[in-house]
Amino acid sequence: MAKDSSQASPALKPGSRRSSLFARGESMVWLTGSTLILCVAMIGGLLALVTVRGAQTFWPQEILRVETIDGGALLGELVKVETYEPEAHVFDAIEDEGEREKARALVAGLDGKSERWFLRTGNRSTENRDGFHWVQDFEVARETRPPWALTIERSEWGRFYGVPKGFLDGEQLTAETPDAAWALFEKHHADAVETGEEAHELEKDGIGAIDARIEAARLRVRAAELDHGTDSPEHAAAQKRAADDEARWSSERARLRKRVDALHTESRRFAFLMTSADGGEHRVGLVDIVRAYPANRVGWWEKVGIYLARWWEFLSEEPREANSEGGVWPAIFGTVILTLIMTLLVVPCGVLGALYLREYAKQGPLVSLVRIAVNNLAGVPSIVFGVFGFGFFCYTIGAGIDDVFFAEQLPHPTFGKGGILWASLTLALLTLPVVIVATEEALSAVPNSMREGSYACGASKWQTIRRIVLPRAMPGIMTGMILAIARGAGEVAPIMLVGAAKMAPSLPVDGSFPFVHPERSFMHLGFHIYDLGFQSPDAKAAEPLVFTTTLLLIGIVVLLNVVAITVRGRLRRQFVEGR
Amino acid sequence: MQGDDVAAVQVPPDDRPGPASHHGARLGGVFDAVSRGEPFATDTHAAMDGQADILEIKDFNLWYGENQAIFKNSFGVPEGKVTALIGPSGCGKSTLLRSVNRMNDLIASVRIAGDMSLSGDSIYALGVDVIELRKRIGMVFQKPNPFPMSIYENVVYSQRIDGVRDKTVLDEVVETSLRGAGLWDEVKDRLGSSALRLSGGQQQRLCIGRAIAGEPEVLLLDEPCSALDPIATGRIEDLIQELKGQYTILIVTHNMQQAQRASDYTAFMYLGRLVEYGPTQDIFVNPHLKETEDYVTGRFG
Repeated sequence: MAKDSSQASPALKPGSRRSSLFARGESMVWLTGSTLILCVAMIGGLLALVTVRGAQTFWPQEILRVETIDGGALLGELVKVETYEPEAHVFDAIEDEGEREKARALVAGLDGKSERWFLRTGNRSTENRDGFHWVQDFEVARETRPPWALTIERSEWGRFYGVPKGFLDGEQLTAETPDAAWALFEKHHADAVETGEEAHELEKDGIGAIDARIEAARLRVRAAELDHGTDSPEHAAAQKRAADDEARWSSERARLRKRVDALHTESRRFAFLMTSADGGEHRVGLVDIVRAYPANRVGWWEKVGIYLARWWEFLSEEPREANSEGGVWPAIFGTVILTLIMTLLVVPCGVLGALYLREYAKQGPLVSLVRIAVNNLAGVPSIVFGVFGFGFFCYTIGAGIDDVFFAEQLPHPTFGKGGILWASLTLALLTLPVVIVATEEALSAVPNSMREGSYACGASKWQTIRRIVLPRAMPGIMTGMILAIARGAGEVAPIMLVGAAKMAPSLPVDGSFPFVHPERSFMHLGFHIYDLGFQSPDAKAAEPLVFTTTLLLIGIVVLLNVVAITVRGRLRRQFVEGR
Repeated sequence: MQGDDVAAVQVPPDDRPGPASHHGARLGGVFDAVSRGEPFATDTHAAMDGQADILEIKDFNLWYGENQAIFKNSFGVPEGKVTALIGPSGCGKSTLLRSVNRMNDLIASVRIAGDMSLSGDSIYALGVDVIELRKRIGMVFQKPNPFPMSIYENVVYSQRIDGVRDKTVLDEVVETSLRGAGLWDEVKDRLGSSALRLSGGQQQRLCIGRAIAGEPEVLLLDEPCSALDPIATGRIEDLIQELKGQYTILIVTHNMQQAQRASDYTAFMYLGRLVEYGPTQDIFVNPHLKETEDYVTGRFG
């Protein structure tokens, strides 16, 4: 009977009519879910790496004194520790036989593995160009933390690690113990730095202004020569005026120079007398010291203070030492200004272009062709845009402007070279497809019923676009803008060709007439990262800064995006959701 | 009546045959002529003669590309009355309505022949300013389409595009129009809030308010209640009765009851042809043509 009933109703037999695994889609849930996890892990991993490495760059480390078995000594910060398997010949380098056997036994006891420490020992000078040392752990005889070891950040040659032996006033030793020297340092440091800055400012503004006047007079002579010829009375008059100017200003210049020299001498009066790890004595002038602290004595809160001060210096100061020290303020400024000018150029252009394509043009093969061409433009490698910008903006348009308006400065180009304006235009071209595509999508998402309602009220096409279509499409246009900013702010390859500089002497906006200088080259965070990582003469010192600068660039892009997303959210609530 | 010769025999309402016997030959006449592509004359009731027509449609034809959608329609819309256009889906009634304010101009493939005139002014003559024309005609669409702006700005949209800035004028337009649309009491305290937050029925009344804010000569309603619930529909129908007299209303509807309740005159369209046109009472209770009767009683359509 049981057999009969199962035959009569096979559909009820448990499991026989179950849908397959594939049909139920269980496997797809796992596939899509795990792919998402993979993506999130990659992004999260990158962000975590950049954040962790970037954030710890400025934390003050303790100073280690390492005495090696061959009698040498090193003083510095521990950068990293590696485990490796030393080869046999490493031990042969140890001279003392007893020590050699001890080292062999030590390593053998650890399965042939050894640790090596990477120390930042600083103290670079014309003789010592490398500020880093490797130490194998079997070489270490003694390891101490000298209480009065100082970390000194110098304005040139990077860091100095040493113990103060005394304090110098001119040639006279005024203190002979570390704590007395430290007390005197704290007393005189600010004044010395201030005097040094005063000298620099006077040099830059006072003497610089005079030089600018003399240069202007020279340019007037050149302009007169170009306009009227060498023998003309105008040329002679300009020459005479230039000579008068120079005579008048040169005495003033000499007076200023003397004052500057006096200030420099004054600022160099006080100095530390430092003992380095190898026992040598060094004079470190107070004016050259950016920051100094007894690394093994400072407490946690003082460390926090130093950490924040270093961050502030990083954000607000100009770079020093081939960019591996100091700050990145010019690069921040350049990046933000570049991105803003690019946005101001690309958004109106892209929106107007998309408006014509979507609202006015008769849809047909030609319009489709244009659309395909625009989309393909987004796939062109960015360096190609850089080459185009260089050839077209700098060498064609820029050179043309120079010929017409800045002829007297030739052969020195004014606009006929890379500059922030040309870089912005190049990036605008690069991001144009993004804006056009996003705007077109936003326009086509505006319900036709709204357009019809407007026409039925007697509105013209442009009135409909301006009052109904554009406001409604604004959030979508903002999306395009956000994508353009994200793409443009991070581009490095094209701007290397059209104006980004390793070190720009002055910002594109400053106090000298006409205050905005679109022809100037600029610094850029993306280019700065490349420069720090691959072009720096002191690559090891610059490496942590690569991460910090990356963190900063990501932060700026996120900040720009957050602003744009906030605005977009408001527009969306107003025009789409009606809240 | 000119239509009598083509019309089928009239059957009194209480003596109708059942649906089963109603197919085929019984439906002959007009529909057969239409399916054969033969021309036939619209059965226009005698009551339509001598009306003061504000909108005159003369031999109007319309093509979408190669497909003709409207065949030689001719009729007049009496001033100050409500005229309903009924007919099965795809019969061209919405197309005809949208031809009145030339909304079909927006579709590139549309071609027309014949003419219409509004208060004697040709609508389709060369050189007609379409924008000025549309300002004389108000239109309300199937789905409420408030603009993404405040209630106030929605109502004064036509004034804004004309450049009116006088606040007292605009305030007055808002109040009159919203009172006219029966929405004033509900929204007078939140004129500045977005129109998109209103309910569907309120949005549709706002659209009516927006349409009458320009004081149009004719108001076109394209199935204004099809997206609304019965209560909101009832309010719109009441509103149509209130607007009658002040405005001439041409309304497209799928709802027979609505046509019967709300309109003074009814035109029955079929496959682009205007089949029968007369006072609503006659069309629904005493139609001349069998086909009209079958449609209004729900036997087909």
